[in-house]
Amino acid sequence: MYDHLEIRCPKLGGEVTFAYCQREGGDLPCPRILACWQRHFAVETYLRRKLTQTDWDRCFNRPSKDKVSTLIELIEAAKKRRGLAD
Amino acid sequence: MDQVKVFLDESEIPKQWYNILADMPTPMSPPLHPGTGQPVGPDDLAPVFPMNLIEQEVSTDRWIDIPEEVLEKYLLWRPTPLYRARNFEKLLDAPVKIYYKNEGVSPPGSHKPNTAVAQAYYNKAFGVKRLSTETGAGQWGSALSMACQMFGLECRVFMVRVSYEQKPYRRLMMMTWGANCIPSPSDKTEAGRKILAEDPDSPGSLGIAISEAIEDAVMDETARYSLGSVLNHVLLHQTVNGLECQKQLEKIGVYPDVVMGCAGGGSNFAGLCLPFVRDKIHGKDISLVAAEPKSCPTMTRGPFCYDFGDTVQTTPLLAMHSLGHDFVPAPIHAGGLRYHGMAPIISHLVKEQIVEARAYDQLETFDAGVKWARTEGFISAPETNHAIAAVVEEAKRAKEEGKEKVILFNWSGHGLVDLAAYDAFLSGKLTKYELPDEEIQRSLKLIEALPKP
Repeated sequence: MYDHLEIRCPKLGGEVTFAYCQREGGDLPCPRILACWQRHFAVETYLRRKLTQTDWDRCFNRPSKDKVSTLIELIEAAKKRRGLAD
Repeated sequence: MDQVKVFLDESEIPKQWYNILADMPTPMSPPLHPGTGQPVGPDDLAPVFPMNLIEQEVSTDRWIDIPEEVLEKYLLWRPTPLYRARNFEKLLDAPVKIYYKNEGVSPPGSHKPNTAVAQAYYNKAFGVKRLSTETGAGQWGSALSMACQMFGLECRVFMVRVSYEQKPYRRLMMMTWGANCIPSPSDKTEAGRKILAEDPDSPGSLGIAISEAIEDAVMDETARYSLGSVLNHVLLHQTVNGLECQKQLEKIGVYPDVVMGCAGGGSNFAGLCLPFVRDKIHGKDISLVAAEPKSCPTMTRGPFCYDFGDTVQTTPLLAMHSLGHDFVPAPIHAGGLRYHGMAPIISHLVKEQIVEARAYDQLETFDAGVKWARTEGFISAPETNHAIAAVVEEAKRAKEEGKEKVILFNWSGHGLVDLAAYDAFLSGKLTKYELPDEEIQRSLKLIEALPKP
């Protein structure tokens, strides 16, 4: 019903469909999906019907991280992978 | 004839960048290592950044010399002209003088190379052979591709697949500048292969692309990673723009009442505004406004409203249900709604109420952008349109208050590679979707059970 609707994604800097926003996080929607779409239609209602409470919490109730923390986590993860590769 | 542009001679280009950390009225909290809880140290960042940039990241020196090699490259398009938007002023019919810095004259068409060139230089000086980065629609990727070519570095850009397939022009710019542009997720990294194994048709995401770019840098001793926004050293490099602008305004004896810019990650806004923040900290009466995408409906119609009441490092934030007239259930947890991408320096300035954040709806921004193009001629990047929408609003306020104002803003880039966005707007694809009444009723029913504050 809504999948074809388009919006400009503030993260990518390009147009995306609602279908993309729903799978931006792999098996989860983009955490910004409520913020971006709620003025266009009742996106929360729609997603509460689609997502389990666990997935809802995984998507929207995670503690926030700043960019440097995210970078450090990615560096540590990559170092581990390098260790395995070595 | 009235003057439209103010130029600086090449010899007048600023020779130093300005570091706001030397003048912050209150200290910023250091980023903490998520594993140890201790402040992040240089060694934590060393796998992905060269030490000369890490030193800049933590420096509190007020002025940092711009290397001669960087200045030489800057001179290809800098100093950028300061314009007076006389035609737009006429359209707005308000007691305002509008000035804008044209950062769209750089080869990739945006402010991004101000830091891309500096980062490529410092990596080269550190002995790095290759830079890796991620890009969404390609603005940053194209700037870094050009910069790497200038300093003889290899460049690998992980471009989110959905953009890679839909937006060929920036990809082609990157390739023309010699970069290796790879759709993400890719088979080049473990992170990408894992995603592809689970979902071969994955359209990718910025998060995946960042993971790939970081892994790519960590796995290769001769490679490092480069980020185009958010970090302190990125904002530092961008200040060349605001410092130029101060010299240009001084030449014509003008000082702004309001300085505005769009703020995604914060680098273009910071570039123009930080030298003026310094003035404000030292007593100047000036408003500094960061314009960002609105994610919030009107109180009367939509189910949420977002507040700027956040106390930590981000901007828009608490979501409150607002469906119905007096029905305002408790805010949902804001964690997943926080925007992680804003520069800590800008977030800190917002928190300290030195910078004001305003949000604009995308339709409002495109409307402003189209009016701008039809008066001033230049077609703006869609992000830049947020700043223009802020200017429109500020002009309206000046008219209502009957107050003369000088407005300065950063025209951060042209939109000639973003015409698909204008197509979406002009063809009505971005038009607001009106919520059917039955859907509103369903929404109201669904949240009836939630607690009221």
